[in-house]
Amino acid sequence: MSAIATASLEPGSQSAAHAVAHALPRDEYFGDATPGKIGMWIFLLSDAFSFGGLLLAYGILRGGAAVWHHPGEPSLGIPFTAFLTFLLICSSVTMVLAVAAANEGHRRQTMLFLALTALGGIGFLTGQFHEYFGLTPGHGLVHEGLIFGQSAYANTFYVTTSFHGAHVLTGTIYILVTLARTAAGKTNANDIEVLGLFWHFVDLIWILVFTFIYLL
Amino acid sequence: MTQGHASRKPYWIVFGSLAILTVLEIIVATPSVGIPKKPMVLALITMALAKASLVGLFFMHLRSERRALKLTVALPFLFPAIYALVLIAEAGWRR
Repeated sequence: MSAIATASLEPGSQSAAHAVAHALPRDEYFGDATPGKIGMWIFLLSDAFSFGGLLLAYGILRGGAAVWHHPGEPSLGIPFTAFLTFLLICSSVTMVLAVAAANEGHRRQTMLFLALTALGGIGFLTGQFHEYFGLTPGHGLVHEGLIFGQSAYANTFYVTTSFHGAHVLTGTIYILVTLARTAAGKTNANDIEVLGLFWHFVDLIWILVFTFIYLL
Repeated sequence: MTQGHASRKPYWIVFGSLAILTVLEIIVATPSVGIPKKPMVLALITMALAKASLVGLFFMHLRSERRALKLTVALPFLFPAIYALVLIAEAGWRR
């Protein structure tokens, strides 16, 4: 019976050749996919439905509203959010490079790319804080008159983007914990791949949120 | 799990495509460009779905997964998709 081999990221292991840590039986239908990976995909599917529910609710409210954007409420800053979108796309690239490095057993390279990805997440969260509250006095949507509870426009915006922001925060903590565990030699390539799935999902959802909430 | 030195080139191609599509989205959504509402909405949704598919297929490696996993992930999206189409049809009927 063939088995699933996963590159270990223990200190000193620089190649995949001598770095086989786990051996699981191959599944007839799912092949090489580990239980952790299948579990993450199922979780992401349920999470996608949560976002789907929020976006559909947004569609229903907006489609049925006589006035969507009330006078006095600010427009959303598209150029700044486009920059945040680009930041998340960049962090997806560094994450996929971390996964590739982990698959090849390159521990230091994996850690470097994980750190860069976490920086992208921290940058995004800082940007979102600035968008809501302003890093400098007088700025931020809250100060400009987009108040939670005052309109469907404000409510759908804050609920959807902050739910996504909570995912970025969770993802960033998940990356930092995995980075620390990798530094201690306690992870393998599969751990990095499962983490990567979560992070790419956060990017994927933002692509849809950016289009539906900001651009449409 | 793929081991050995796989090419990073597809990742950079996807990165470039995502960046270009994002710029195109912003251009299409700019009011002064003057694209009528319906084609604009259609173009924006198409580009967003294309970008999401690129991330799923290449960054999340869904492209190289077994059929069972692909179907497990993709098929359930038919339900929200049908619901969204019903909503759009209903909104169109009301107008």
